[in-house]
Amino acid sequence: MWKTIVRRFLIMIPQLFVLSVIIFILAKFMPGDPFTGLITPETDPARIAELQEKAGLNDPWHIQYVRWVGNAIQGDLGLSYTYKRDVAALIGERALNTFWLSLLSVILLYLIAIPLGILAGRYQNSFLDKSIVFYSFVTYAIPTFVLSLVFLFIFGYQLHWFPTNGSVNIEHEAGSLSYYWDKFYHIILPSITYAILGTTGIIQYLRSEIIDAKSMDFVRTARSKGIPMRKVYSKHIFRNSLLPIAAFLGFTITGLLGGSIFIETIFGYPGMGQLFVSSISSRDYSVITALVMLFGFLALLGSLLSDIIMSIVDPRIRIE
Amino acid sequence: MKKTKWSLLALLFSVLLVLTACNGGDDKPAEDTKGTEDTGTEKDAKNPDELFTLAVENEEEAIEGGTLRVAMVKDEPFQGIFNWELYEDAYDADLMNWASNVIFETDENFMITDTGLATLDVDQDNNKVTVKIREGVKWSDGEPFTIDDVILPYHIIGHPDYTGVRYDTQFQNIVGAEEYNAGKADTISGLKKIDDHTLEISFKQLSPAIYYSGDGLWSYAAPSHQIKDIPVAELVESDAVRKNPVTLGAFKIDKIVPGESVQYSKNEHYWKGVPKLDGVVVEVVPSSSISVAIGSGKYDVIQHFNATKMPEIENYDNVTVLGRQELYYSYLGFKVGKYDFENNTVVTDLEGSKMGDVKLRQAMGYALDIEQVSEVFYNNLRERANSLIPPVFKAFYDDSLEGYTYDPEKAKALLDEAGYKDVDGDGIREDKNGKKLEIKLAAIAGDATQDEIIAFYLQNWKDVGLNVTLTTGRLIELNSFYDKVEADDPEIDIFMGAWGTGTNPSPAGLYGKVDQFNFSRYTSEELETAVKNIDSPKSFDTKYRAGEFKKFQQHIEEMATTIPMQFRYEIFPVNKRVKNFSVDYANEYTSYLHEIELTAEEPVASN
Repeated sequence: MWKTIVRRFLIMIPQLFVLSVIIFILAKFMPGDPFTGLITPETDPARIAELQEKAGLNDPWHIQYVRWVGNAIQGDLGLSYTYKRDVAALIGERALNTFWLSLLSVILLYLIAIPLGILAGRYQNSFLDKSIVFYSFVTYAIPTFVLSLVFLFIFGYQLHWFPTNGSVNIEHEAGSLSYYWDKFYHIILPSITYAILGTTGIIQYLRSEIIDAKSMDFVRTARSKGIPMRKVYSKHIFRNSLLPIAAFLGFTITGLLGGSIFIETIFGYPGMGQLFVSSISSRDYSVITALVMLFGFLALLGSLLSDIIMSIVDPRIRIE
Repeated sequence: MKKTKWSLLALLFSVLLVLTACNGGDDKPAEDTKGTEDTGTEKDAKNPDELFTLAVENEEEAIEGGTLRVAMVKDEPFQGIFNWELYEDAYDADLMNWASNVIFETDENFMITDTGLATLDVDQDNNKVTVKIREGVKWSDGEPFTIDDVILPYHIIGHPDYTGVRYDTQFQNIVGAEEYNAGKADTISGLKKIDDHTLEISFKQLSPAIYYSGDGLWSYAAPSHQIKDIPVAELVESDAVRKNPVTLGAFKIDKIVPGESVQYSKNEHYWKGVPKLDGVVVEVVPSSSISVAIGSGKYDVIQHFNATKMPEIENYDNVTVLGRQELYYSYLGFKVGKYDFENNTVVTDLEGSKMGDVKLRQAMGYALDIEQVSEVFYNNLRERANSLIPPVFKAFYDDSLEGYTYDPEKAKALLDEAGYKDVDGDGIREDKNGKKLEIKLAAIAGDATQDEIIAFYLQNWKDVGLNVTLTTGRLIELNSFYDKVEADDPEIDIFMGAWGTGTNPSPAGLYGKVDQFNFSRYTSEELETAVKNIDSPKSFDTKYRAGEFKKFQQHIEEMATTIPMQFRYEIFPVNKRVKNFSVDYANEYTSYLHEIELTAEEPVASN
């Protein structure tokens, strides 16, 4: 298995290389550049031209590309044109925010979805099942921004249970216990929103897996041996039904850094989703390329992780 | 079966109940636009100038100290470059204003006065100015404020490693700036330190712009004791800019949560006296929830509030909405020439341009029902503009200009007169030679409202028989729009853009013969003379300058190569507990931060 993992990592190199070339060319195809947004009547066009020249934006793309790769390999991703900060530091700050938010979201997501999916599958066609299915369709149909706003208005502004914007209240001293509690406090409401909206897939998957498994031979065998239904569910059906969920786990883990533009914007939470979108609209090339490369790498890593997890939980699968 | 159906319905019903409950529980849900119409008519009766008050009227007894809570409406984190020489966007500037390092104060005409930290003495004959700063002033860390703090910014902006936009032709007007930038000199030779409080600056030439901090004059100080040893290339990432900048203003920065919020406390060393407030907290608040936040009384002052959200807060009784006209106009431009990028000059070709006929251009202006757009889409927070100089510039604005007020009959008459007639009877006019006439409009993409407005304008033109279609078939993304307009894309006949004028409304840079941003590519001897005269030494006489400004405005109105479309208001909702707060340009709160007071412990919520 180790051999396979090493091989998979080696394959990633050409994959990422192709990705980097594509994103580099596409980024340059976008009209305008990082300096276009700075133009006011007082701006001197000659100065803009000079800045473009200084930043090397007038060179042919392959020269810019080689220069970028050369720096990137040495760990220098350049300076964000918009934020004037080291790209790695900027992304690091946002990634950390997004990571905690996504982690709590995913935990809540599984806490809600798995029991509901199991219950719906086990008590198929009951009132409970129908309610759960109904719930999952409703949450599937509600657009993210609508639920976010409704929650924000009710729990934030009406009931004052949760903070309404930002990642931390400025009054707390950085590093103190109250500071970390406040950071946690700020991610609760967005995480709940995110979790509620994301449950549909898992509930439906789990439910149908369980319903399928109920009519499988091994279940009938178990029942004919006289094993009580409760035990059949816990020992035989659930374990098998959870396999597809496990298959997604790898992507879920690496997806933690993706972020959600809607949730971040509505809750005023500085994260990766916003950074990505705003870097595109401001033509912040260095941030765009760094983020796409990061997301690309995470996607590849996610699929590898999923394969590894599968081979662990399902002995029938072997990575060769 | 029947039973389950009912239970489903019941569930659905309960969900609906929950949803309506949140609507009912919410005092003023964001979507509530009830009452827009009647207030709209109410406003019609008023003169737009009286639409808003400029200052709060709060006569209540003030509390001791207190913290002012400011919301900055923004859907992205702020950049956080707290240095006047390096910052790039208006949000950072607003954040810095609380701790401002500005050394000059200005009057209602935006001209430098003697009331600030420094005074300006202009020696027009020798192209020199003398900047003299107050003695005994201290920085927020207690260090004395000296003339070195005024000199340092010039050496930052002029430095070869400086990557901002402020090193421009204006800055090169300072004697020795170019040599310093090229690395040939260690300092800028035009800056002469007379004593610890006096600086003499030599310029290549002076214009009236000097009184508006133009011509290369810089109006901010930088704390040289804190940053003079930091290399310019590293300055933007340094803690002195990002985390703990030392300042001169009423408040000093205590703490920054990057991109989210800034906490200020009063500056005990402030030269105008210790501020009455204990401190200020500014938070970034998303635009989607700002209206509810205002109603719930979370904030005292709201900056960058989008005027289109006005109906959402109209019924709140806990805020006073202050408003003022922005230094802004939007316009309709007509391409009547090309820019010669090799010789850096505008080449006007009225004869050879599709939009060359002045009557056609005027007719297109008269055909637009901008009045209705302002009322329906902008609740009259925008109004029909009649000039390329916003009325706030009282000395230069020509209020006698008629502008192109909506008059479709006049538009039709002008078109008939000019020979644009409907030859084939399809309701659409052909050109003078009887050939099909299709005019291509480039407009900037925005939200759904923008789509509706542009569709409305296209219909306006169709009503007078003109076939106007969109360049590329749709609205164009901002960057792309300016790329195409600047490159004189042949697919563009007319275009809709906007300019912020800055505090010196001089048309230089936008309407001159050499200006790349002269997008309509129109120039004439008369126009060029007026543009040149406005910034000539003769214009140190404000009366003369005003006369030239009028000539410029009148000429453009007559030629209609750029037709002003709208002026815009910016509004500032302010909580009822705030005292001594004004947005009047002549008397702005940024100069009187130390006077602001509060009259209650917490912001007032709306009933």
